Amino acid sequence: MSDQRIFAKYKANELRAELQVFDVKKSKTSAHKRKDALRKIIANLTMGNFTEMAFLYPEILKFWKIEDDLEVKRICHEYVRSLGSAKPKNAAEALPYILDDLDSRNEKVQIMALETLVAVPSPRFLEEATKTIISFINRRVIPPTVTKTAIYASEQIDFTENATRSHLLTLLLKFVERENTEPTLQVAALHALHTIHEKNIDLQPLRLPIDVAFKLLDLLPQLNEWDKALTLDSLTTAAVPESHDDAYEMIDIALTQLQHVNTFVALNAFKFIAYLLNYVDHVDENLIKRFSNSIVSLLNKPPEIQFLVLRNVILLLLSRDTPLLQLDVSYFFIEFNDPIYIKDTKLECLYLLANHGNLPRILEELEQYATDIDIQMSRKALRAIGNLAVKLDKESASDCVTVLLDLLEFGVDYVVQEIITVFRNILRKHPDDFTSSVKELVKYNDSVQEPESKNAMIWIITQYSCDIPNYLEVFKVFSSNILEENLEVQYSILTSSVKFFVKDPVPETEEICLQVLKICTEETNNPDLRARAFMYWSLLSMAHSSKNHIISAEAVKSVLDGELPVIELNTKLDPLVLEELELNIGSIASIYLKPVSQIFRSSRTRHLLQSPVLNKDRSNLKILSGSTSTVNLEGFDSLPEMVSHSSSDRSSSTAARKKMMNDYDKPAEKVNQLKGRRKSSVTSPSKISRKPSLLVRKLSMRKPF
Amino acid sequence: MSSCIFITDENLEPLISKNIKAIPNLQGILRLFKSVYTPESQPVISASSFHFVHIKRSSLLYVSVIHAYDASANVMLIATFLDQFHSLLKKYLAVSALDKNMVLDNVLLIMELIDESIDFGVIQITDASIMRDYIRVKVNMPENKTIDDLSLGDSDTDEEDNKKTKRRSGKPNLYKFLRGAKDGTHKAEHTDTAAKEDDVEDSYNSYIAKATIMPVSWRAKGIHYARNEFFLDVVEQVQYLMDFNSGIIKKNLIHGKIICKSYLSGMPKLKIAFNKLSQKDEQFISHSKFHQCVTWPSSNEKEIEFIPPDGDFVLCQYELKRHVKDQPMLKLVSFGVKPKLKKYKIQMSCTIETHFKARNSTSTLNLKIPLARLFQEYQIDLKKPARFKSDSGKVLFNISDDFLLWDIEVMKGGHGDTQLSMAAEFSLFNKKEFEEEQEELKNSMNPPPLRDGPKLEELYDQVHNEKGPSKMASRLLSMKFEIPYSTCSGLQVEYLKIDEEQLQYQSFPWVRYKTVNDEEYGYYV
Repeated sequence: MSDQRIFAKYKANELRAELQVFDVKKSKTSAHKRKDALRKIIANLTMGNFTEMAFLYPEILKFWKIEDDLEVKRICHEYVRSLGSAKPKNAAEALPYILDDLDSRNEKVQIMALETLVAVPSPRFLEEATKTIISFINRRVIPPTVTKTAIYASEQIDFTENATRSHLLTLLLKFVERENTEPTLQVAALHALHTIHEKNIDLQPLRLPIDVAFKLLDLLPQLNEWDKALTLDSLTTAAVPESHDDAYEMIDIALTQLQHVNTFVALNAFKFIAYLLNYVDHVDENLIKRFSNSIVSLLNKPPEIQFLVLRNVILLLLSRDTPLLQLDVSYFFIEFNDPIYIKDTKLECLYLLANHGNLPRILEELEQYATDIDIQMSRKALRAIGNLAVKLDKESASDCVTVLLDLLEFGVDYVVQEIITVFRNILRKHPDDFTSSVKELVKYNDSVQEPESKNAMIWIITQYSCDIPNYLEVFKVFSSNILEENLEVQYSILTSSVKFFVKDPVPETEEICLQVLKICTEETNNPDLRARAFMYWSLLSMAHSSKNHIISAEAVKSVLDGELPVIELNTKLDPLVLEELELNIGSIASIYLKPVSQIFRSSRTRHLLQSPVLNKDRSNLKILSGSTSTVNLEGFDSLPEMVSHSSSDRSSSTAARKKMMNDYDKPAEKVNQLKGRRKSSVTSPSKISRKPSLLVRKLSMRKPF
Repeated sequence: MSSCIFITDENLEPLISKNIKAIPNLQGILRLFKSVYTPESQPVISASSFHFVHIKRSSLLYVSVIHAYDASANVMLIATFLDQFHSLLKKYLAVSALDKNMVLDNVLLIMELIDESIDFGVIQITDASIMRDYIRVKVNMPENKTIDDLSLGDSDTDEEDNKKTKRRSGKPNLYKFLRGAKDGTHKAEHTDTAAKEDDVEDSYNSYIAKATIMPVSWRAKGIHYARNEFFLDVVEQVQYLMDFNSGIIKKNLIHGKIICKSYLSGMPKLKIAFNKLSQKDEQFISHSKFHQCVTWPSSNEKEIEFIPPDGDFVLCQYELKRHVKDQPMLKLVSFGVKPKLKKYKIQMSCTIETHFKARNSTSTLNLKIPLARLFQEYQIDLKKPARFKSDSGKVLFNISDDFLLWDIEVMKGGHGDTQLSMAAEFSLFNKKEFEEEQEELKNSMNPPPLRDGPKLEELYDQVHNEKGPSKMASRLLSMKFEIPYSTCSGLQVEYLKIDEEQLQYQSFPWVRYKTVNDEEYGYYV
C-alpha cells in the first residue's frame, strides 16, 4: 500500500474504530490492517496532529501488551517518544512496558526501549535511563549494538548527581582503554567522553593519556567513515602530544585521512593536523602541499558543501601568518552557474589571497565579473577591486585604479556609481597618489544617483577641490536640490559647503554656505540635521565675529577640514578568537567567523569548555610557576605533569602571548576564556626539542612571535 | 548535533520530519524556517534560537535544525550527512532523481533509514549496501505509484519482475556502460553473468552478519558467490572549455573515477597497481580520493591493498589538470560563418579532428552547434529549406533550442589526421523577392502555392515568442562523446590480484577503460 494513503489527517475516533473492529477477527489480514491504522497514527503525528492522536493513548498501551510484532513495537515506541515531550504524564503510564522491553531478548527491542527512555523528558524516565545505561555499559555479555546505543545515549542525559556522572565517565574511559573490543564501541565511548566533557562546565577538560590516543589513532584504518571523523574530532584537543615526535607521528597517521572521499572526514583530519601543528617546531613543505591539495579537491563538491569548505578556507587564510594553505587563485574564480553565496565567498577568498604576485590575474578576472550581466555580481566585483587597492601597497593600488578607470569608460550607470563609491576609499588610503584620476571621475558627475555614490562624489569634490577648477559649479548641482536628498547626502552637502567656505573664504563660497545653512536650519524637518547646521553656523560666526576671540579661524579650519587619518581595512580577527576558531573548523562558528560563545548564545560560560585545556590552567598556574621554571608561568598545557616536557616550544609561545595580551585589550572574560591555547608555531624558532638550556629558553623568549 | 531533520518539498511543506532531540512543536520550527528561507539564501541560516542547515537536491530540501544551545553541533558533519543521506535514498529507491511522491510513498522506509543512520544525532552509517541488511521494508516502486495516479490495469505485477526491474535500474551504470560498448563477445557474457550474480546474491546472501560493529565495517561476513568476479571500470570525464576566437583555454581537466563492482566470496584481499602510482605521478597522488576501505599507501608504494565492500562502490576519484598544450581528445579545427549576401544565403561550416590512439574510436559523438547568435545577427528565412551536409553522421536542426545537432557516432582516432567536417546553409530574408511575391499574390487569381512539410518559420516564432526574448545567446559549441578502451590521462591498471586465504577460489577480474565528456566540454564560438 502506498504510504500516501496513510498520510491523510484522521480523527482519533476513526482510527480507534479501525483498531477495534479488527480486534475481533483474528486473521492475518486484520493484523495487517491494524498495522496500517497504527501507521496512520504515526503519520498523523509527523504531520502535527497531536491533539487528536493523544486520545489514543489507551489503545496504544493495549497493543503494547499483546503484540510481539517488531513493527508494532516500533510504532508504540515512536508514539511515546513523540507525545512524551508534550505530555510526560501520559508517558509515565507507558514506563512499565518500556522497562519490560528493556529486558527483552531481542536487541532491537532493547535499543528501541532505551531510545524511548532517553527521549522523554521527565525525571522518572531520566532516572531509569541513567540506571539502565550504566548497567548496560557495565555488562559484558550483552550484544555490542546495545552497548553502543547505551554509550551514545549517555551523551544525551543531563546528570542529576555528580557521583553517577563520574562513575559513568570512569566506565567510559575504561572502555576506551580496553583492548580487544570492537573499535566502533571504543569510538562511541570516546565520543561520549568528549561530549559529556564539553557539555558540563564543571568537569575538567578531557585529556587522554598519550598511549591511548595513539591506540585510537591506530584504529583509524579499520573504522567506517563517520567513526573516523568522530575520532579525529574528539581527539582534537583531547590528545595532547608530549613531544615533537609525538606530534609528527600523529600528523603522519592523520595525513592518510586527508584524502578521504567523505568531506567531513577530510576536514576533520585537517582540523586535527592544524591543531597538532601547534605542537611542532617546524613544518615540512610537503605537508603544506598535501594540505592545500586536499582542500582544493574538497572544492569539487555540491555547492552547499563547497560553501562550507570555502568558509573554512577563509578561516584558515585569516588565522595563519604564513598561511597553511598555498592555493592557486584560479580555484576561486567564479563560475557563472555558482549560487550567489558561493560567488560571494569566492570573492572573499580572492580578496584574502591577493598579493603582489597574483594581483594581475585576479584583477583580470574581477574585471570580467565587473562587466557581468548580473548587476549584483558586477557591483561586488568592483567593490572587491576597490578593497584590494586599499589592502595592498601603492604600486598594486595603481594597477587596481587603472582597471577601475578602464571600467569607468564602460559608462554604465551602476558601474560608474560603484566605482565612485569605491574610489573614495582608495583616496582615503592613498590620498596623494591618484589625484590625477579625480578629474576623470568628476566628469561622471551627472550619473551619480544613489545616495552612497553621491556621498562619495561630494566628498571627493570637497577634498580635491584644488584639482577641479569648476568645483563650485559641480557642487551646486548637488546643493541646489538638497531638500530632495536623503539624510546622509544632506549631511555631506552641509559639511562640504562649510568646508568650502573654510578652505577658501570668498563671496561665492560664502553664498553657498549660507544658503545651505539656511535651508538646513529653516526648511528641513530632521532635528539632527538642523542641530548640525546650527552647530556649524555658530562655530563659523564665533570664528568670524570680531568681538570675542574664543576661537580662531585657523582653529576652525583645523576642526572642520583637518587631516584625515589613512584608513586601513581590518580583516584580521583577534588572534585569540582565531585560535578558538581554528579548533572549531567545520562548526557553525567557522561559518560566521565569530567565537563560539557569540553564536551559541547563553553558552558563554559553558563555553569555557570548548577549549578544555585552558580553563583549568588558571588554577594550576601558580603551583607550576614555583616548581618548574619561570618560563612556564603561562602553562602551555593545563596539566602539571605535562609541563616539564615540551617546555621549549611553550617558552616561545609564552613570549608571544605576553605580547599579545598587551596588544589586544579585550575584556578579561574573553582573554581568560581562550587563554593557554597557544599556537606555537610554524614560526617557532627553537629546533631543540627535549631539554633546552636556560640560555636557549631565554633567547627563544625574546624572539618575536 | 542536529535536533531534528525535515525533508520538505519545494514549497517547504514537510514530507518527513524526524525529531531527534525531543523538541516540542516541530511545526513552529518549520514555520520559522519558512520565514527566513529564500531560494538564494546560503546553506546555513540562523533565526531566533535555531540554526538551519539545508541542502537542495532534485526538488527536495533537506533541512537540519540545530538548537542554538547545542554548541557541539558541526555544520560540516550535518551538511555532509544530508548529502550522503540523499544519495543513500537514491540508491535505496533505485532511482536517479527523487521526487515528492516517491518520498511520500516510502515514508516509513525513510524514517527507518534515518533511524538507522543516526543514533541520538550521531551519525552511524550511510552505506546503502550495508543498510540493506538492516532494513527490509519493501520499497514502494513507481509502478505502484502510477496506480494512484493513472489506475494502471496490471496492479499486481509479480514480485519477481518487480525485483528484477529494481535491480536493473539500481545498477544503471553497468548496464548503460555495457550497452554502450557494442562489440566484443565477452562483453555480452559480462551482462549475463552479472545478471546471474544478482540472483545468486539474493539467495545466498540473504542473511549476513551485522557488519557495522566489525573491524571491517564496510563488508559483511559470509558472503558467497558461485562465480567470483570483480569488475573495475576506469571512467574519465574530460572537462574542456576554450574560447575559439581568442584561443584561450579556460578549462582543461580530467575528472576520473574508478568504479568497481565486486562479486567475491569471503574476505578477499585485493592488490591493485596503477601505472600512475608506480610512476609516482605527483599530481595523481595528491589529487586522488580513495574509498574508505583503502588504506592509502603511506610512502613509495606502487600498489594499493584493500578488502572491497560487496557490490558497487567507487574505489577512487581523482582530478588531474592537463597541460595547456595537450591537445583535447576532440578538437574543433575550424568554425566559420560565411554570409553570401548577394545570393541571400549564409553558410556555416565546422571541422573537428581527433587526438587519441588510432585504433580506438568513439562510440557516441554529438556536437551541438549553437545558432542563437546567427539568428540574432541575421534575418534568416526559414520558409526556404535549410541544407545540411556532413562527411559522416547526420545533422539535425533543433528549432526550439536553437542549435544544430551533428550526430556522428563513430569516429576513428588519430593524431590530427582524422578530420570530419560539416556545413549548413540557411537562406537569408530577401526583401525584394518577398515584396514581389506579395505583389503577385495580391494581383493574381491563383491560390497561394502549396507548401508541404513543417512550417519552420511559424514553429520558430511560436517557440521564441513563448519564451520571450532570450537574454544571452549561447555561444557554446558543446561536444558529447564516449571513447571506450582509452583513458585521457593514460592511467592504467598494471595488475589486479585477488586473494582469499581461506577459500582459495578462482576469480575473474575484469578491467575496462572509457573516456567521456564532462558537462562542460566545448568551444565558445
